[in-house]
Amino acid sequence: MAEFSWDVRSPLERALIAGPYGAQGDSGVALTEIRNFDLVQVMARRGKAGEMIAAAKARFGVAAPETPKAIGTSDASLIWSGPDQFLVLSKGGKHSIEALAPVFAGSASLSDQSHARALISVSGDKARAMLAKLSSIDLHSDVFGVGAAAATSMDHTSVTLWRGADRNGQAVFNLLVFATFAESLWHTILDSTAEYGVTIGHSEEF
Amino acid sequence: MAGDQANRLTSGGLIDRSTALSFRFDGENFLGFKGDTLASALVANGVKLVGRSFKYHRPRGILTAGSEEPNALVELRSGARREPNTKATTAELYEGLEAASQNRWPSLNFDVMSVNQLFAPIFVAGFYYKTFMWPAKFWEAIYEPAIRRAAGLGRAAGVSDPDHYDKAWAHCDVVIVGSGPAGLAAALAAGRSGARVILCEEDFVLGGRLLANGGTIDGLPAAEWVARTVAELEALPDVRIMTRTTLFGVYDGGTYGAIEHVNDHLPVPPEHQVRQRLWRIVARRCVVAAGAIERPIVFAGNDTPGVMMASAMRSYINRYAAAPARRIALFTNNEDGWRTAETAIAAGLQVAAVIDARPDVSPAHRSLASKGGFPVLHGSVSAVDGGKTGVRKISVSLTGGARAEVEADGLAVSGGWNPAVGPTSYHRGRPKWRDDIAAFVPDGVPPGMAAAGAANGAFGLGACLREGFEAGAAAARDAGRSGNIGSMPAADDEIFSITPLWHVAGKGKAFVDQQHDVTASDVELAQREGFQSVEHLKRYTTLGMATDQGKTSNVAGLAIMAAVSGKSIPETGTTIYRPPYVPVAIGAFAGHHRDENFHATRLTPSHHWAAELGAVFVDTGLWKRAQWYPRAGEKDWLESVTREVKAVRSGVGFCDVSTLGKIDVHGPDAGAFLDRVYINAFSSLAVGKGRYGLMLREDGIVYDDGTTSRLAEDHYFLTTTTAKAGLVMQHLEFCRQVLFPELDVQLTSVSDQWAQFSIAGPKTRDLLQEIVDPAEDLSNEGFPFMGAREVKLRGGLKARLFRISFSGEMAFEISVPARHGEAMARNLMIAGEPFGVTPYGTEALGVMRIEKGHVAGPELNGTTTAGDLGLGKMMSTKKDFIGRVMARREALVAPNRQVVVGIKPTDKARRLRSGAHIIPKGETPGPENDQGYVTSVCFSPVLDQWIGLGLVERGRERIGEIVRAHDPLRSEDYDVELCNSVFYDPDGGRQRG
Amino acid sequence: MRITCPFCGERELGEFTYLGDAKPQRPSADAGEDAVYDYVYLRDNIAGVMSEHWYHGGGCRAWLKVTRNTLTHEISAVEAAAGAGAAKVGA
Repeated sequence: MAEFSWDVRSPLERALIAGPYGAQGDSGVALTEIRNFDLVQVMARRGKAGEMIAAAKARFGVAAPETPKAIGTSDASLIWSGPDQFLVLSKGGKHSIEALAPVFAGSASLSDQSHARALISVSGDKARAMLAKLSSIDLHSDVFGVGAAAATSMDHTSVTLWRGADRNGQAVFNLLVFATFAESLWHTILDSTAEYGVTIGHSEEF
Repeated sequence: MAGDQANRLTSGGLIDRSTALSFRFDGENFLGFKGDTLASALVANGVKLVGRSFKYHRPRGILTAGSEEPNALVELRSGARREPNTKATTAELYEGLEAASQNRWPSLNFDVMSVNQLFAPIFVAGFYYKTFMWPAKFWEAIYEPAIRRAAGLGRAAGVSDPDHYDKAWAHCDVVIVGSGPAGLAAALAAGRSGARVILCEEDFVLGGRLLANGGTIDGLPAAEWVARTVAELEALPDVRIMTRTTLFGVYDGGTYGAIEHVNDHLPVPPEHQVRQRLWRIVARRCVVAAGAIERPIVFAGNDTPGVMMASAMRSYINRYAAAPARRIALFTNNEDGWRTAETAIAAGLQVAAVIDARPDVSPAHRSLASKGGFPVLHGSVSAVDGGKTGVRKISVSLTGGARAEVEADGLAVSGGWNPAVGPTSYHRGRPKWRDDIAAFVPDGVPPGMAAAGAANGAFGLGACLREGFEAGAAAARDAGRSGNIGSMPAADDEIFSITPLWHVAGKGKAFVDQQHDVTASDVELAQREGFQSVEHLKRYTTLGMATDQGKTSNVAGLAIMAAVSGKSIPETGTTIYRPPYVPVAIGAFAGHHRDENFHATRLTPSHHWAAELGAVFVDTGLWKRAQWYPRAGEKDWLESVTREVKAVRSGVGFCDVSTLGKIDVHGPDAGAFLDRVYINAFSSLAVGKGRYGLMLREDGIVYDDGTTSRLAEDHYFLTTTTAKAGLVMQHLEFCRQVLFPELDVQLTSVSDQWAQFSIAGPKTRDLLQEIVDPAEDLSNEGFPFMGAREVKLRGGLKARLFRISFSGEMAFEISVPARHGEAMARNLMIAGEPFGVTPYGTEALGVMRIEKGHVAGPELNGTTTAGDLGLGKMMSTKKDFIGRVMARREALVAPNRQVVVGIKPTDKARRLRSGAHIIPKGETPGPENDQGYVTSVCFSPVLDQWIGLGLVERGRERIGEIVRAHDPLRSEDYDVELCNSVFYDPDGGRQRG
Repeated sequence: MRITCPFCGERELGEFTYLGDAKPQRPSADAGEDAVYDYVYLRDNIAGVMSEHWYHGGGCRAWLKVTRNTLTHEISAVEAAAGAGAAKVGA
């Protein structure tokens, strides 16, 4: 019997080259791909939004987002993805679809999206300037504060965008992009970022 | 003369005399200073002749100092970066700039085509339409190319643009167009109130007309006030000042287009930087403070080099310290024009005379004339003497009939001011006429927009500041900002008095539109020939249709039309204003989306593995799919594809089919929902089974097909074709949200979640048993045809396995989470090695589906019914579904419809081509005998000949009939036999085996 | 053009797909051919205020009913389709 490896490969594994890119000097943007995560789409059943929210509260200790917001807990982020639905983003299997199935039994339908997306985190002085080339959303701090989320499009491709907690006093924007579009969008992102100088990396941690 | 800047004034100007810049114009070397435009540097060097006109090749000079320039167009840069029709008046000078004049041969000074001037009487409006009529085919072959050589503007580079362009979004409360006194005052009020402000200025310096006119604001000289104001604005965190940025369009919902010339002032953009950036600005309010454009007066010889707008002369003298002439005559019909006489005297230049068309001149100006020692002539300029070397002598018709002559080397002209009504009129608002200033002012402005200052017809400095400040404050207030706006900047108001004068009758060509060589007599001719409407005037004479969009000519043109047609100017009206305000490079609209980035691409999970194997990829929609996998020694694609098909039919092969759309359908009503969207039943499908489904449009035509499996009582896994994946999702959401909201069903696209492979061929089970856990039963009993369930793989990974076949062979499709997709492809190669496993591409997939008679895109073409495809029996009679009623219409069930049938040439050696028409034997090809066409073809390795599918009238009743395949495109005509569309294994034993 | 999605807020036109007249209602299963014919083919094309279906496919995937003036592009109302946000029915 042959021995098989079922190693995972990120959709950005080939395209992402860690290190500096673009203009020399202090980089204005940091791009980090976060690899290997669990992502579950939770969609309330008809008339069951209240039950779904209660189930989420029992599981995560926070109310599920009912408006475009991302809510962080110690081990998961709940990200609004549309009316009566949200995404649960986590690592290590604790909130995998198998783990969540009993939680939402009867109140919501679950769909595994863990492999359907690539997750890119964008930060730095020029993060907003770069994202303005890709996103039609107003990312001004007064409008898109920490925890704001949007189901939107970049480069004619659907993305989920949300602002995480600030890091070193700087805003951090997270992008969930469809896996099969990821490499193409990555090149567009690099093109948009090159003038500011960018530091590229990938991480297993959020 | 070259390079000596002989006409540079010794002091003044906003130029940096410590930074000299060398540049070339028509191969000659010159020097200018940082802060110059190409035009101002040419003026400083005494260059008057800068181009030849569009039609008559007349010598032309610089008319203006801004983006309204009709004449001074050059080819800027060289090679791939050569850009035609660049306005010298806005091109910022840089070290090493290269520019060439346009529309002349062999040189600007000696231009052969200037003989056109001798034939001028025949080149009138409508000349081309009237002259080059017959024979019709000569137009394309002879007339048009000849005319295009003789007439025209600059030459495009002809090669790909090496620079990068991009696009970006910006958001604000108030966008302000223009940074003159009104714009700066608006920015101050809005910025101080706490509003998010974007200030767009097309120039590279802020200040607008203040740069040329000076003045005193809040007791400070204008330049100091500008500096102080800009410093205050820059200190506000939410005020963004964008220079070199022209707002060119106004779109719905408060969206504005602007073009930023990020690096056009450099020879080559710095590495990683863009040349230009297209902005889409979303603003709650807009203040248009774009100023006004001084308009010419139409008189004979008004296009002579050295004739210049009076305000432009002030710009060159005050802003650039460059003297357009040494002895200047001024022709004006208004008070403002006199400022140029004041400016010229202050700069130490001579004023030859002021020709004022008005009956009276103010005492202040009379005393200026007597102090300056120049005459004031009441009358009009009737002719200009001077050719390519510029103005020499000016003939004046004095009020009362006498004539006078004035010797001068420059003529400043002021016919009054036209507010820049473009941006305020882009939503079809029609500007309204104001008699007191003899100009159109904004009316019917788009929602959220206000005009202020000169753009609103307020020409005095004090009024500009007041209107700007108030408009800025109001805009901020409307956007919900209420901070303290502080005090309003103040200045005196000048008097503006005008006596309209549009056209001075006289001998010789008097130009209305200098860029398109439209004369006053062309306008008159248009009127005589019945083209009186301004829209007709525009099309017939091309007045206002050039790259400057008639900024200096439109109003004069319609005023002349009004005069000759005996109407008033407001009765005559304006043409419709449309964006863009200035020409915008197509590259800027394209931005990043060019070449390989023309559109986003999607890659399958096994893409890089396939690339390693040397797969040839084909674009299908956004996808890159492996088309075939060539091997060394194979001479063409057909050999590779035939090998792949044979390998599958005799052994085992696999193909990445992840591109199929995949949708999770969840919920208690999932089955009922699918019953309504498919023609066949799905609520009755057992858990663990799949079924082929067909969807119709509501009009009864087939929409899409695919296999849908029931994975749990309340969970179906639906697949769509690759092409329709997104549209089917949209359609299903419409059904769920709009048509059937009472159903409890949830939809999610899982297209990207799963890497899916089709494994096909008689040895499929052998291969699969190596991959899946030995405990999984893959036998016919344990996993029957159309079975679907989760399985465990060796190593513990879970997968979904579907026993479905597109190839007609024993086959499974296996799905693993996408990040394992590449590992799956590699493992299939390892596990299949003993069985000669062969990866196959979309071509082999296509061959096998045609051999099996399966329909695909060419048959699901938006005109076929389920019956046409031979799938009519699938239509349930027990339930309602989308398309049910319309599918029963008479024409859709007519017996003579074109239906899917197999087709093969009677000559086995002949290649069948798709697109060939089916004509009965003995009939003449033509629409009356056309019975259908060949939709899909392939070379069938099994039958060892070309075969195909077609849509043929009554095709299924005519099996065995010989008909003609008529292919006029390829000049082919051959006999084919209509046959059963299932060429291979018609009873399906192989896929069930 | 910008459309204010009831779920996402104001978004640019590129995120939306137009379908058309939102007035016709899909006839019941027993309504007969004429009613279905009218539903499929008879569409108003109003120069003025019109109720239209738009899909927020580049966003939250909600189907919307948009009241728009086809002459000015002024949007006076946007509401979600009955089945968008249906999880709140009865909640």
